[in-house]
Amino acid sequence: MTPAISVAGLTRRYRGQLALDDVTFDIEGASITGLLGRNGAGKTTLLRIIAAQEFASAGRVRVLGASPVQSDAIAGRVVLIREDQTFPELRVCQVLRVASLFYPNWSAELAEALLADFDLPPNRRVRKLSRGMRSAVGMVIGLAARAEVTLFDEPYAGLDPVARQIFYDRLLADYAVHPRTVLISTHLIDEIAGLLERMVVIDRGAIVLDAAADDLRGSVTSVRGPALAVQEFAAGRHTCGRRQLASQESVVVIGALAALDLARARALRLSLEPLSLQQVVIHAAGRPETDVRDRTSA
Amino acid sequence: MNMCLKVVRYHLAQRVMYVAAPWAALAFVFAVNLIIAAVTAPSQDPTKALAVIYVCFFALGILSIGRSLPFGLALGVSRRSYYAGTALFAVALAAADGLALTLLQALERATGRGWGVHLGFFRVSYIFAGPWYLTWLTSFTGLALLFVYGMWFGIVYRRWDIFGLLAFLAAQVTVVLVGAAWHSIGHFFTALSAAGLTGVLAALAAVLLAGGFATIRRITV
Repeated sequence: MTPAISVAGLTRRYRGQLALDDVTFDIEGASITGLLGRNGAGKTTLLRIIAAQEFASAGRVRVLGASPVQSDAIAGRVVLIREDQTFPELRVCQVLRVASLFYPNWSAELAEALLADFDLPPNRRVRKLSRGMRSAVGMVIGLAARAEVTLFDEPYAGLDPVARQIFYDRLLADYAVHPRTVLISTHLIDEIAGLLERMVVIDRGAIVLDAAADDLRGSVTSVRGPALAVQEFAAGRHTCGRRQLASQESVVVIGALAALDLARARALRLSLEPLSLQQVVIHAAGRPETDVRDRTSA
Repeated sequence: MNMCLKVVRYHLAQRVMYVAAPWAALAFVFAVNLIIAAVTAPSQDPTKALAVIYVCFFALGILSIGRSLPFGLALGVSRRSYYAGTALFAVALAAADGLALTLLQALERATGRGWGVHLGFFRVSYIFAGPWYLTWLTSFTGLALLFVYGMWFGIVYRRWDIFGLLAFLAAQVTVVLVGAAWHSIGHFFTALSAAGLTGVLAALAAVLLAGGFATIRRITV
């Protein structure tokens, strides 16, 4: 099967800055993937290139089997409403009507329902809306378009928790009936963790973690204790985020721990703590040991 | 439905801006000129205030890119379709508004003595003084030209910001100066008939259209 999104060796250079550095990943068929990372990590650039709003410096991008920059290759099949989306000088209802022109699967009922859910005034000009409400307009378009590839770039900037929960519920409900490839970039990882099937973490333009969310859930552990004991325990395991403070050391161990491992940790007087997905991302996107040291002491 | 036509419909959602704004501006200027003509001594000179609708078309060309292009691209429209659709919309709008100007010119002629107050508003000597079809053709070409010119400005600004815009203007001034210095080109223009000028404007519009297309192809939003 052709992957919905296929990115290979993708690099984007701006003057004196590497925004994306040799990024490679595929997303097959219907799924909900989280694109996570710090501010300026390259999330928006990656989404923009997938949606043909930006061009790659090097590498190959295929969306639904074709290059997205090819004329109208992604028309009606891909949607990306950005966090800082520029809207034309139109009312909310007009913006939705315009969007509906371009998407063959557009659901007017869903748009109507979402409008009511988010309390959006249909006759207000989009530019006059508050930040959060403008984000809500973006969400309505992204969901109602039912595009095969649905990209969200920090979709809920400025939105209240109630509206965010509505978005999660609506996304999941509509996804169940109309499965599609959803790629969401966000900072609110714990909130969205339940929705994600896969997590791609990027830092400084490079992918630092790409795993099924289920594999990470409950199988990432923070190990803390005397430095020597920690090193002995961690030897041969997949680890990240090693930090040392005086004689104490902590490290994140990826992969489920068996009963034998737990017993050994007890014997070594190590404290184990399972990490949430948010903490996993913090460790993955944190800086390597060398410059982490001064931050831990802060 | 064809992607270009969808882009045309996208612009039509802003029809208040595209249709009403130029006519509101023209109506206001016309009213002012009518009052001036009524209270001053009759003059043989046309007012040339008709230019206001052309200025409006230039502004509309800029606006058709400005805030509208990023949203179009967000909806997955390709740059090529967006450009073709916008140009199609510009041509249709210019044809319709050009026809309206022609009708108004016929009306002005029919009133005799220019709306009763010797006002030459829609009749401009040399350029809009011929038969109705030439008036229509010239208005149409002029309006389309200004719109397409505005589009190119909008695209250059989106792509290279204010410094790109300045370089773009400087390049145009250079081209005009070089052209003016060339004796035979000056002679060509002084000998040109109104119909010939329309032909030159049409050729220029085609050049601008090609330039805008070359610039939008690598635009990012």
